[in-house]
Amino acid sequence: MTAPINAQAVMDFLKPRMGARFKTWVNICTHCGMCADTCHFYLANNKNPKMIPSYKVRFLKDILKKKGRVDRAYLEEIYKTVYYECNVCRRCSLYCPFGIDIAYLIYVLRALLNSQGLAPEGLARTVLDYKEFGNQMAITDEEWLETLEWCKEETADELVGLDIPIDKKGAKILYTVNAREPKFYPQDIMEMAKIFHVAGEDWTFPSRKGWDATNLAMFMSDTETAREVASNTFKRAEELEVKQIVVTECGHAYRSLCYEAPLWLGYTPKQPVVHSVELFLDYLKEGRIKLREKLKEPTTVQDPCNIIRNGGLAEKNRLLASMVSEDFRPMKNQGNYNFCCGGGGGAMPMGGEMKKHRLASGKIKAEQIRETGAKIVLVPCHNCIDQIRDLITEYKIDAKAVHFKEVIAEHMVIPKEMTPKED
Amino acid sequence: MDLYFFVEGPLVWIAFLTFIIGTILRIAFFISRSRRMDLPMYRFLKWKYVFATLLRWLLPINKDMAKNPVFMPLLYIFHICLIAVPVFLSGHLAIWDESRFEWSWPALPDAWANWMTLILLAISIFFFLRRLISADIRLISTFSDYLLIIVTALPFMTGYFLTHGTLESIGFKGDTMYLIHLLSGELMLILIPLTRLSHSVLFFFSRAATGIEFGRRGYSM
Ligand code: HEM
Ligand code: SF4
Ligand code: SF4
Repeated sequence: MTAPINAQAVMDFLKPRMGARFKTWVNICTHCGMCADTCHFYLANNKNPKMIPSYKVRFLKDILKKKGRVDRAYLEEIYKTVYYECNVCRRCSLYCPFGIDIAYLIYVLRALLNSQGLAPEGLARTVLDYKEFGNQMAITDEEWLETLEWCKEETADELVGLDIPIDKKGAKILYTVNAREPKFYPQDIMEMAKIFHVAGEDWTFPSRKGWDATNLAMFMSDTETAREVASNTFKRAEELEVKQIVVTECGHAYRSLCYEAPLWLGYTPKQPVVHSVELFLDYLKEGRIKLREKLKEPTTVQDPCNIIRNGGLAEKNRLLASMVSEDFRPMKNQGNYNFCCGGGGGAMPMGGEMKKHRLASGKIKAEQIRETGAKIVLVPCHNCIDQIRDLITEYKIDAKAVHFKEVIAEHMVIPKEMTPKED
Repeated sequence: MDLYFFVEGPLVWIAFLTFIIGTILRIAFFISRSRRMDLPMYRFLKWKYVFATLLRWLLPINKDMAKNPVFMPLLYIFHICLIAVPVFLSGHLAIWDESRFEWSWPALPDAWANWMTLILLAISIFFFLRRLISADIRLISTFSDYLLIIVTALPFMTGYFLTHGTLESIGFKGDTMYLIHLLSGELMLILIPLTRLSHSVLFFFSRAATGIEFGRRGYSM
């Protein structure tokens, strides 16, 4: 397929997007190669030079030089590079002497592809669902409320007085989840309800659009949809007059609401966005949650790109992991400079077409985990946890991956008055 | 007008003015464009992160030093020689002093300048060969990358030949070498704002932009 592409359309799309930074980056990269061995794709693929971050964005300069005169096959080549060979994790950006933000340039290329109708099926599908249902799993409002009702019934006899408040006006916290939770992991919702209850938290779920904090449109640079999705959540926060928005253990959801939404919206919403890791850390520090015991088996913690490198929670993540563990073993590069697991940037929701690429690039993470000898990997992100579970199987690692909320819900002290009477 | 006169007179002016005005324009273009199109840079501007990132990368106290303990030190030494030798060479200072500006500032001892020139040339050869030999760097290199290393090294090579009379025996008399040296220096000055060598000024803006971007997320890089 080499159908011609409207060169004018390509240039009209790119020109208003090539700001001073992007233009400079395209022009001044000295091709020094410092970014090469910072990318897990490069390292996991036998240092294949084609995986050098700088090389992956060569298209941009090329298209500008050709004044947009490229064909369909060329766009498909770009597609393979910007989707199959990059998790937009931004690790390389931290090592470039000029601070060239390769991931940003990848996003520009993804945006260009999207404008030409080229986007991964798995991501494009969610855009339709976000537009129609306000969440990525096509869950209707009725189903959402039914699921919450069911979660409440299931947990009610475990903790006296447990409630899952919905649309509680003036609550302190608006809690938002990943739509995979009502669909596949309702236990995540139940665990969180228990933690909130024990901590005596004043929280609520919204009944409508906005409860799904994920934003997969971001990964295909569909800013318009991304803005709409993020503003759903802030609208609910406004209506319910909450003090803050708490996001479940999901990386990109947190990043999109906390750091990208202010860009999409053009203003910074007044409700602070808090990730579960921060919330849990506060609960433990303030003693609102106490642990009966810590994890005895050796643990390590994953640093999801979107809450650590791109979310600034490196210290808190590490501290929380050490507070729930007796034998905490940080990975090499723990913190801002940690490697991506290979599941970021849309790789998980892309499904089958991406699977072999992400399992291959995940080799670096698999080795990192194995090196620590940990039996439990704490993972505060939905995409990361799905990927790490796949890596554990693929690379035969003797460990399991868990969210913090599972560990905390299981190990917290339940106050007497909440313990059900047995009769 | 003979070539010698042109290269020593008007072309010096042309080269310096191109370098200075071109560099100022580069900066002006960056600022005016970013004011229109890179609003987050200004919205989230915190000088703390700008200075932190510039300092970290102007001095060898960054992540790449540990990661590339050979290349990075060489890169720093290369750039120090690159700037120090032409600016502080006693021979160049004499010319500034005699010029209409009558400027003067302390000079590098000649022996130092000599060694620094040789070191710079050696590192240039290393950079060039590294591009040719390493499969990684070869793939990402463009023709201009090779060319610019030569453009950068040439004034130093010809300067060395000039001060040592190295090639006199094969016909490059002092005057000829002087001419070539001037020409190569002028070429480099002209190309700095016009090519990727503009990284020398854009470095500050690019790093600042990314420093701000990660500073927003609470840490300096
Ligand atoms: C008079 C100004 C400058 C000139 C002529 C110059 C020249 C060069 C050249 C020729 C290279 C290529 C080396 C190679 O190909 O391996 C280079 C690389 C580099 N320069 Fe400069 N430079 C200048 C100023 C600066 C300044 C002020 C900075 C930053 C503070 C800087 C940072 C770098 C970096 C990070 C590289 C990348 C390494 C590489 O390409 O191999 N340069 N420079
Ligand atoms: S480290 Fe930066 S300048 Fe060097 S090749 Fe990579 S992107 Fe280009
Ligand atoms: S995967 Fe990460 S390190 Fe590799 S090129 Fe993409 S952003 Fe850079």
